[in-house]
Parts: sequence; structure tokens; C-alpha cells
Amino acid sequence: MSERLTTASFEAPAGVDNARSRAMVVGAIGLIATIAGAFGSSTQFFQSYLVAFVYWTGVALGCLGLLMVQHLSGGAWGLMIRRILEASAKTIPLMFVLFLPIAFAGLPALYEWARPDVVAGDAMLQRKAPYLNATGFIARGIGYFAIWSLMTYLLTKWSQDQDGRPGAPYDKRFGKVSGPGLVVFGLTCTFAAVDWVMSLAPHWFSTIFGFLFIGGAGLAALALVITTMAQLSKTSPMSGVFEQKHFHDLGKLMFAFVMLYAYFSFSQFLIIWSANLPEELPWYLTRLTGPWKVIALLLVFGHFVLPFSLLLSADVKQNTKTVVPIALLLMVMRAVDLYWQMAPQYHHGAFHFHWMDVTAFVGVGGLWVAAYLHFLKGRPLLPVNDPYLREALASHGSH
Amino acid sequence: MTRHNVSPYATVMDDSQLTGRPIVLAGAGPYGGDLEIDEPLVTGGKKWTDVDRDICMHAEQFPTKKWWIAFSVALTGLGVLVFALITLFYSGMGILGVNHPVGWGSFIINFVFWIGIGHAGTLISAVLFLFRQQWRTGINRAAEAMTLFAVACAGIFPVIHLGRPWFAYWLVPYPNARGPLWVNFNSPLAWDIFAISTYGLVSLVFWYIGLLPDLATMRDRATHPWRKAIYNAMSFGWNGSSRAWRHYESAYMVLAALATPLVFSVHTIVSFDFATSVMPGWHTTIFPPYFVIGAIFSGFAMVITLMTFMRGYFGMKNYITLNHMESMAKILMLTGMLVGFAYSTEFFMAWYSGSEWEGFVFKNRAFGPYGWAYAIMFTCNAIIPQVFWFKSMRRNTLVLFIVSILVNVGMWFERYVIVVTSLHRDFLPSSWGMYALTAWDYAFLIGSFGLFFTLFLLFVRFLPVVAISEVKGVMDPKVARSIPPRASAAPQEA
Repeated sequence: MSERLTTASFEAPAGVDNARSRAMVVGAIGLIATIAGAFGSSTQFFQSYLVAFVYWTGVALGCLGLLMVQHLSGGAWGLMIRRILEASAKTIPLMFVLFLPIAFAGLPALYEWARPDVVAGDAMLQRKAPYLNATGFIARGIGYFAIWSLMTYLLTKWSQDQDGRPGAPYDKRFGKVSGPGLVVFGLTCTFAAVDWVMSLAPHWFSTIFGFLFIGGAGLAALALVITTMAQLSKTSPMSGVFEQKHFHDLGKLMFAFVMLYAYFSFSQFLIIWSANLPEELPWYLTRLTGPWKVIALLLVFGHFVLPFSLLLSADVKQNTKTVVPIALLLMVMRAVDLYWQMAPQYHHGAFHFHWMDVTAFVGVGGLWVAAYLHFLKGRPLLPVNDPYLREALASHGSH
Repeated sequence: MTRHNVSPYATVMDDSQLTGRPIVLAGAGPYGGDLEIDEPLVTGGKKWTDVDRDICMHAEQFPTKKWWIAFSVALTGLGVLVFALITLFYSGMGILGVNHPVGWGSFIINFVFWIGIGHAGTLISAVLFLFRQQWRTGINRAAEAMTLFAVACAGIFPVIHLGRPWFAYWLVPYPNARGPLWVNFNSPLAWDIFAISTYGLVSLVFWYIGLLPDLATMRDRATHPWRKAIYNAMSFGWNGSSRAWRHYESAYMVLAALATPLVFSVHTIVSFDFATSVMPGWHTTIFPPYFVIGAIFSGFAMVITLMTFMRGYFGMKNYITLNHMESMAKILMLTGMLVGFAYSTEFFMAWYSGSEWEGFVFKNRAFGPYGWAYAIMFTCNAIIPQVFWFKSMRRNTLVLFIVSILVNVGMWFERYVIVVTSLHRDFLPSSWGMYALTAWDYAFLIGSFGLFFTLFLLFVRFLPVVAISEVKGVMDPKVARSIPPRASAAPQEA
């Protein structure tokens, strides 16, 4: 790296633009189909839409969390993917817009606690009403998005400022926001998981649920990062930058998240299963009967056993041809997992699959990916003026 | 931040010249800007040859007066333990405070407490190794030793709590002559046996493998033939060939990868001892990660306590620098926050659940007769470590020392709160009761500290307390080379 690095040398390749257009088209088709379906059944529309919303918000949140972690931890891996994380986190305001239909039209269709007739006949829901009520849900939701958007805004803005100031020293503000930011992030994500997912089964509760949600979001985010890196590394300018070692590092991190998520998930299952309590066990009983049981077994295999066994190998982690399919598998499995957590609640446990479950996921996903690629295109792909960059590039032997 | 034209890297002599911030080199950056490099991990302009002497010295000279004083105090503590054990075996469990309804008392508290402390060693040696955190090299050896001794202390308690400890081997499932009598595999108490023995064994192997090159160094420096022979046997005849090193490195890597899941598994299973029951306050799904984090938290606190002594009494300030202490303070703050997060989540969920029992247990914990213990726990664990948001506090050794002690006080009380408050008032008010420690409970607690420090002091007397070969690996050759480069390239031996 004897030549000087400039912002111009790391502009996103034209392929990003093409991909963005394609994602936009796919997203538009998916959304139009889903909205058309809403005229048939608005209840089903919201039920499918909520899963898609939680999934893609989770990806963006996972990236925001990783962005703060890498600002605090330092290290080459973080510098290499910082711009990818920033682009993903910048979609959070978009997800807020997509939250509004849920907040202002979808609650009775989705949540038992939002239906006055159900609450009137359920003493427990009346007792829980101080937390589980529409006003609180909406106000908290707005609060979460405001906090996440603010953190994203500050971190990405300062990062952009850095691009315009060659030779500037390390900006300490990153660390000062990321430290307290991660605390707030953990709390808001936990409450968001309770509000959006856990309260679908309003009688059920599990204290590990916040960890589960954050772990799943982190896993999906890493899978996205690895997939993006692999695509970018095919052409200039990143072809010479992303090396096997970077994939190895991130592959290890993804591997760790695979294990961590399985750990959280299994802990929750074992504790609830062995205690066998009437207020907790039904959640699993529903999800372990009929077709849901098949999906549960699919998750054990596809979300843990298969990726775990494959990612043990260093070669598999280093080679984009092998690590990318695993990353894609994990992104799909994350969606299946959320569906398995959320959908059984909609029909009192009966298995019910609707085509809108797919179109909503693709529609929101296409829109999300288009926005993500748009933000990725907007900045150089490496923070070239970061004082640690030279060390990061050198330590990986790209002289 | 000061900008330097010439790198001061080689001339950092002691803690006072460390800032905990990168060294900024003016105009050396990629765009004509500044370049930032990390401060040296070893200060004092040490050469590689100095490292051998500085570290082996403590095992090679007659122990100092300070060591003898510390050792006699520790040995007295160990004596207390032995005396308490004899009394316990003679008189029975009645000498302790356990009663109905609090059937789990200080033994379980001490067990979880010591197992928790044992976590930082493996975390530092395995997880930080995999994350390439080079500052671990200064502290990993002592932290791993601490782990082994803490596990030894922990192991005593469940065994003596059996009441008839001479049947302890019944806990191990093996084909036996007592009819088809097996341990209850559904019980997490049986899983404990597997988890803890695996953990102890892997930690021991990992620690010992890491010791091999350093034991060889001690052998090479030994002058007395017996001493040479003993260290030679202990180092398995290590010859320092590149072949030996290659095998060593891969073995170390594999063991690090194997040890990492163990950091999680042990305290997870300890948490299952509580969480798989139906007791409100015990049965909660956050317990596994919450116990693991708490264990790392208390383990790091103990490492900080021990490192303060190592820096002060063994003159290790050049190898365990303020920067090392600051890194540990950051981990302490982070884990303290996560522990606080878990406390708060439990409270929130108890309220959110709408369950009468859950709600009562947590109200009783914080405001009931054991509210004082809860207050100690919450203050020491969740609030006090937050002083480390300030850099000046992280770099103040007195503050570090005091906080590290308070954290372990807090963590002991955490286990006290968990064990006692859930049991003393359960579903049936007619069976409520109180629990108080007797003098013997205290004797066992003090005695376990005696055992721990006795073992630790023997360790610093006979083994290299800092990983010599690893520390050499993170020193800059430009500074540490004692022979000029040209001369060293020439053949060394006749």
C-alpha cells in the first residue's frame, strides 16, 4: 500500500446500481401483490407483513449493533466492513415508515391484547394492560426508532465527515457514542422484541427473549455482510482488498453467532420444557405439534447443525464459494425461525401458510435491499481517512 | 493527544509514560496524515534476555519476607478449613445454618461463587487468544492458575454438602454392583459432575501445555542438577526445535477452541441447577447467559485483585502495565452493566408476567427481610463498576483494587440472594422461615480463601508467573533484540 488512498479509489462499482434496480423491481412486485392481497384479507396482510417487518428491521439493527461494537473493539475486520454496516443501519428510518401501518392499523389484527372484546374476558390481559396497550405500544415504537435513528445518524455523519478530512486524527466521538449507545441499544432491542414478537402470545414470558432477538439479528447481519463482501470482491475496487483472511475472520464471527443463538435458544427450551409450567409450556407445545414440529426440526438442522458442522472448517470460512451459500442459508433460516416464533400465534396453533407470507417478505425485503444498496453506493467502500486503515491493510499482508 | 515526530515506542519506561491511547506519529499515515500505533505491551525497554530473568527470578531465589508473611496468613486460613472439615465430619451438617425451608445454604453459595471466579482464566487464555487480544499474554498464566485453584475450592463444597462425602463417587455413573442403580441423568446436579470435571481437566491441560516452553526456560537457567532434572521432566524434555514449536502452536490452538465452549457450558449448567426447577426467582430463562456473564465479571475482578499484588509485590509492573489493568477494567464495566441488565430484565418480566408468585418473589428480594443483601448486590455489581466510564478511574490502581474487591463481595451476595430469598418464602406462607450463617459457615468461607491463596502462593513460588514465551512474542524485535541484527544473523554456536 505504498500509493496514497483516496476516496475516489473506493467508489462502489456499477454492479451495485444494477443490483439496486433489480431489488427495487422485485420489491415493488412483491409489495404490489401483497397490497392487492390486503383487499382480500387485511388480517392476513398484517400477519404476513409483521414477520417481514421484524426480520428486515432485525437485519438493520444487527448491523447497527455491530457498527458500535467495531468502533469500540477496533481491529481490521471492523474497518473492512464499516461502510457495509453503515449502509445497512441507514435503512432504519425506512423501517420506521414501514412500522406506521402496523402501529396505526394493524394492532387488532395482530395482537390479542389490542382487541377489547378479548381483554374484557381475560383477567390476565387486564392485569397486563398497563404495559400491553395500543398507546404504549405506539409510543414505545416511536421511541425505539427515534433512538436508533439518532445513533445511526451521528455515527454515519461523522464517518462521512472523515472522508472529507484527509489526515485527521482518530475521532474519539465514535467511541463516546458507541459505548453508551450499546447499552441503550440492548435495552431498546429487548423491549422491541417483547412488544413486537413476545406479546403475540400475551400470556407467555421469557426473560432470555431479548438476548435471542439480538443474537438472531446479529447473525442475520453478519450473513448479509459476508454476502455483500463476496459480491463486492468480484470486481474492482474491492477485489484487491477483501482477502481470504477477512472472510475467515467474519466467518469465525458468524460461526460464533450460530453457536450463541443455538445456546440461547436451547437454554430457553430446556428450562421451559423441564419446568413444565402451564403458563409457559403451551408456547412450545403449539410449536412442537403437526407441521410446526417439522419446521422446528428443520431449524435445529438448518439453523444450527448444518452451518455449525460446515463452518468448523477454516477452508469453508475462507472460500467465498462455500461461505456465501452458508450465509444465505442462515438468512433464510432466520426468516423461518421468526415465522415459527410468530405465525403459530395467529391461528391458535393451527398450521396455516398463506402466499402473502412470501410476497410480504420479498416485497419488504426488495425495498430494504434497494435502500441498502442505495446507501452503499453513496459512500466510498472503505473509510480511507481512518488513521488505523493503513495498519489494518498492512497487517493482512497486502503490501 | 500528543503528536510525535519520532516514535517513543522504545523509550516507554514505566506506567507513568503510558497513556492508554495510541501513539500518534505525525505525517506517517496513508494520506500524508497521522499514523496511530498501539503502545508497547512491555515497558522499561526490556530485552528478551531481561524477560527470562525478571520472571524466573521469583522461583529461583529464596522467598522474600513478604511472601512468607502472605503464606503464613494463607496457611492459617487453610488450617481453618481443615479444622472446620474435621468438625463437620465429626458432628454432622447440624453445625451449619441450613434448615427448613432453606436447605441450600452457604455451601451452594460458595460453590457457585468459586466456580464463577474460575471463569476468567479460561476466558482470558482461550477467548482472548482467539480474538487475538495480545494484552492477554501478560496475565494469562496467573489467570489460568487462578482458575484451577478456584475450581479446586469450588469442588469441595458440593462433595461435603452430600452429608456422606465418602460416597461422592456415587455421583459418577458407572456400571456398579448396587443393582441397576444409576445417577439421575435428568438432574442438572448430575450434569454438574460432567461439566465441572471436564472444565477442570481441560483447563489443567491447557495451562500445562502453555507452561511447557517456560518450564524448559527454567530448566535451562537452573544450576542445581536436581532442579534441572525436575524442570526437565516437567517440561517433557522440550527442546525448542521448530518442530516442537509447530506442534505446540497447533495443540494450543485446538485446546483454545475446545476450551471456549467450556467457558459457557460450566456456568450454564450451574444455572440449570436453579433454572430447571419451578421456584419463582430460580426458574427464569435468562439464567444461563446471566450466570455466565456474572462468572466472567467476578473472575475478572479476582484477576484484578491478584494482578494488583503481582504488580506491587513481585515487581511485574513492566509486564502487567496500567494498560493491561485498564483493559480489564473495561471488561469489568461491560460485564457489570450486563449483570445489571439481567437484574432489571428479571424485575421487568416479573411485573410483565402478571404472575403473582413471580411478582412476590422479586418484591420480597428487594424489599423483604433480605433487602439489605439485595442492596449490597445491586450496588456492588451494577452501580459501582460504572465508575470505569471515566478513564482516570480505570487507570487508578487504588480504585481498581477497591472496586475489584467490592465486585466479589457483591457477587458473593448475588448468590446469597438467589439461593436464600427464593427458598425462605415459597408458595406456602406456613412454611416460611429465615436463614442465618453460623460461625462454621464463615469458617468454611474463610477457609476456602485460605486454600485458594495457599495454592496461588505456591504457584508464584515454583512456576513462571507470566507466560515468558508469549510475552516475548508480543515484544517489538527492534527494541527487544539484545544482539545487533547483523551479529545475530551469523552462526551462533560453535
